[in-house]
Amino acid sequence: MNALDTDVLVIGGGSTGAGVAWDSALRGLHVTLVDRQDFATGTSGRFHGLLHSGGRYAVKDPGSARECAAENRILRQVAADCLEDTGGLFVSTPEDDLEYADRFLAAARAAGMEIEEVPVGVALRDEPRLNPKIRRAFRVQDGSIDSWKMISALLRGAQAHGAKVLPYHKVVKVIRQGDRVEGAVMEDQRTGEEVRVNAGCVVNAAGAWSGQVAQLAGCEVGVRPGKGVMVAINHRLARAVLNRCHLPSDGDIIVPVRTVSVIGTTDHPVADPDDTECSPEEVHQMIEAGELLVPGFKESRALRVWSGSRPLLPKTEGAAGAGDREVSRSHTVLDHGARDGLEGLVTIAGGKFTTLRLMAEDTVDVVVRKLGRGAECRTRTEVLPGSESHHFYWIGNRQQEAESDPPDDPLICECELVSQHDLDTVVARRPNWRLDDIRRALRVGMGPCQGGFCAFRVAGMLHQEGRYGRAEANSALREFVQERWKGVKVISWGAQARQTRLDRWIFEGVYDLEHLPE
Amino acid sequence: MGTDAVVLGAGTAGMVAALRLAAAGASVLVLAEGEGGLPLAPAQIDVLGYRPQLILDPLGELGGFLESRPDHPYRLIEAEEVGASLEWFLELSAPLGYTGSPHLNRLQPTALGALRPTCLVPETMAAGDLSGGGSVLVVGLRGFRDFHAPLLAENLSLAHPPSGAEVRARSVEVSLLGDPRDLRPQLLARRLEERPVLAELGREIRSRLEQEELVGMPAVLGLERSHEAWQRLQELVGRPVFEIPTPPPSQPGQRLQQHLFRALRRLGGEVRLGVRATGYRRAGDRLMAVRVVTAAREVEIPADHFVLATGGIGTGGITAGADGELREEVFGARVSRGGAPDQPLVEYMATQPLDRLGVEVDQEQRPLGAGGEPLFQNLWAAGAALAGAEPWREKSGEGISLATGYRAARLAGGARA
Repeated sequence: MNALDTDVLVIGGGSTGAGVAWDSALRGLHVTLVDRQDFATGTSGRFHGLLHSGGRYAVKDPGSARECAAENRILRQVAADCLEDTGGLFVSTPEDDLEYADRFLAAARAAGMEIEEVPVGVALRDEPRLNPKIRRAFRVQDGSIDSWKMISALLRGAQAHGAKVLPYHKVVKVIRQGDRVEGAVMEDQRTGEEVRVNAGCVVNAAGAWSGQVAQLAGCEVGVRPGKGVMVAINHRLARAVLNRCHLPSDGDIIVPVRTVSVIGTTDHPVADPDDTECSPEEVHQMIEAGELLVPGFKESRALRVWSGSRPLLPKTEGAAGAGDREVSRSHTVLDHGARDGLEGLVTIAGGKFTTLRLMAEDTVDVVVRKLGRGAECRTRTEVLPGSESHHFYWIGNRQQEAESDPPDDPLICECELVSQHDLDTVVARRPNWRLDDIRRALRVGMGPCQGGFCAFRVAGMLHQEGRYGRAEANSALREFVQERWKGVKVISWGAQARQTRLDRWIFEGVYDLEHLPE
Repeated sequence: MGTDAVVLGAGTAGMVAALRLAAAGASVLVLAEGEGGLPLAPAQIDVLGYRPQLILDPLGELGGFLESRPDHPYRLIEAEEVGASLEWFLELSAPLGYTGSPHLNRLQPTALGALRPTCLVPETMAAGDLSGGGSVLVVGLRGFRDFHAPLLAENLSLAHPPSGAEVRARSVEVSLLGDPRDLRPQLLARRLEERPVLAELGREIRSRLEQEELVGMPAVLGLERSHEAWQRLQELVGRPVFEIPTPPPSQPGQRLQQHLFRALRRLGGEVRLGVRATGYRRAGDRLMAVRVVTAAREVEIPADHFVLATGGIGTGGITAGADGELREEVFGARVSRGGAPDQPLVEYMATQPLDRLGVEVDQEQRPLGAGGEPLFQNLWAAGAALAGAEPWREKSGEGISLATGYRAARLAGGARA
């Protein structure tokens, strides 16, 4: 078995783990980060993309609101390339209590948010598709986050400072020596080989899965997975993030992210964080809810649905601040030494994408104390790779890049403007790419055709370049088609139903994928 | 001067019905909102390929197939008439050199290298029947995104035709002269009609060709002059050359469309594209006129006979609302799931809720209304508008369109007489 020595072993390659890796690496610690799958495949790659202004927590969870407001400002300074500065609106629809709006405004100010009330006419001028019956509107500093870009930037930054990252490495054993955790054994999910990592400290950053990881170490973490369903609509229905001004509930937020608008979300407790099925009822609930913010929402083209599991933390786990939607959205660092008498293990539990930096800082502060070395936190000011120019991502960026591409660099994904050169650049970064990993890195297959045209191109090109064997290319394509189906099968209406038919024509009629050799 | 017959839809079924009616002396007008499905289609004529086992004699096995699929559109038609429609198509499409027998499926390679059953193919694909095995040199064009010769050849080498014969395949890649921005199917097709480009391609292939090899290449061998391009390339390489269909847009599909449009014009018929049918006028049990929107105004087009060939959900003939309502767009005919499940299945490669969607018809192919009675005495449905088929999985689409379009014209003609 291969063995590695490291200061900090981070389990989980979502926003939390990537943040911890970046923070630790900047403090001069050697970090190794592992994930059972590709990075950002759990909750982080499955959220609505909201960069919180804090508004959604202002009334019910002031602690979280304050954290969001502060972290929002910091991320704008250090991670501009991963963010869109869309701004946000909280609007009182005819179904929302106007008195709540007053409480909201006061709470937002108390939380340190930048907020101003704008006349309804101004809000409607800025957002023509907004419900004309809204009665109040507040402008806040919401934005949107490209989760894949952000996590990729954090990991590249950490790697530049010596970190080692291992995707598709699943923890199969936590190594204990008496009352001390000394590392873990990982199984490479692609080769079956085992790797042992000896670590000064292990950070359990597995989010909704952190209970499962803690169990391997022999202790309990009471994290509760809460499933949220989201639907992507094939247009930017609004420039700004649209929120209903009321106590957060299902389907009350529309986030413009890149070429789509995402509506979210539901909240159902689930036993298994890997339960990501979306029922037609949940999807219809979202679509109906969208009508209140944007009349005619139902007629828009829905592209895809998905769900993610929030890592909800019951108050009994000592989360600070009041609960949001029953359990807190704030985070807690669990020092298992103090809590369970088990040294060498720290769990970062709860939290949300917007506060990933603070979560990492709080976690690594504990790690540094335990290791007895490591510098001060630098993530408040250290700019992430790609964000050096401090320009926010803008919806026209991709087109701009595509137009400056050399003319002999063919587009392989028209929906998301991905060129052959983009593909070559990404696949050169590491071996063993799955088509779905490439999708996260480049967005191929995420546009209106959902892979109908580009999946075959990518599989064929990677085979031609020798990166895939024949059987691998076939199964990659099958796997991808199956994975895409998961997100469109419940959209049985409108233009996307029609698109699904075209894709089926291509896969079954033109290629006869069903009768391809294994 | 009135129109005898109005056909809604310019895909295979609509064009077949229109051509048959026009050939019988009717004045025919084809109206379509889009372009019809033909420019997307591989232009191979599938009749029946899987039941789900591989079928070798489509016409011979039709009866057995219908026993397990009593709601299938083929139930409406006698096997003889299916055969007659295919024979008629072979004759009609002689200029494109269509070939094959309704009693024998051919096994042709797909762009991924599966061996796929189909029945009739144009001359440019004829040499690609590997039922009896063969050695194929798969020729890729460097930079063309929709054809990957190495993967195709490796998959094809593993194909096992029921004859037990061996299929061997290897691939080469050639670069075409000219602007790399031309590497889209329609531009490639235009380039390959130029003699110097074709000569260069021929030389490249010939220098890499081994004895006894067939040459398979993406279906971009010209558009208007595909016969000359294909023939010339065969002469240049000295071996049979065949095209392999690529994803849309399809050059063979556009060739077939152009051919059918021209054939109709020669018979005095007319095709009007960009026309959306929005409603109709009835008198008793007869359909008197369809209302259409064209050039931003609504006009009424009266006729004696009407054919509904607007296809299913894939072409907009039927729409599904977010509330679950399924609607045939022009006449509000009754829509059926054709025995498919109500809820989606997890496995993609299974019969899904929308897979067999279509309008319900009586034995005479007349769409039914909500009460189960024919909507009109003089409206017949044909092709993918009919419920009950899974054309792409069972490889039946063109056969259904040909046979039901052919029959719709006969029924309309009979009503006329």
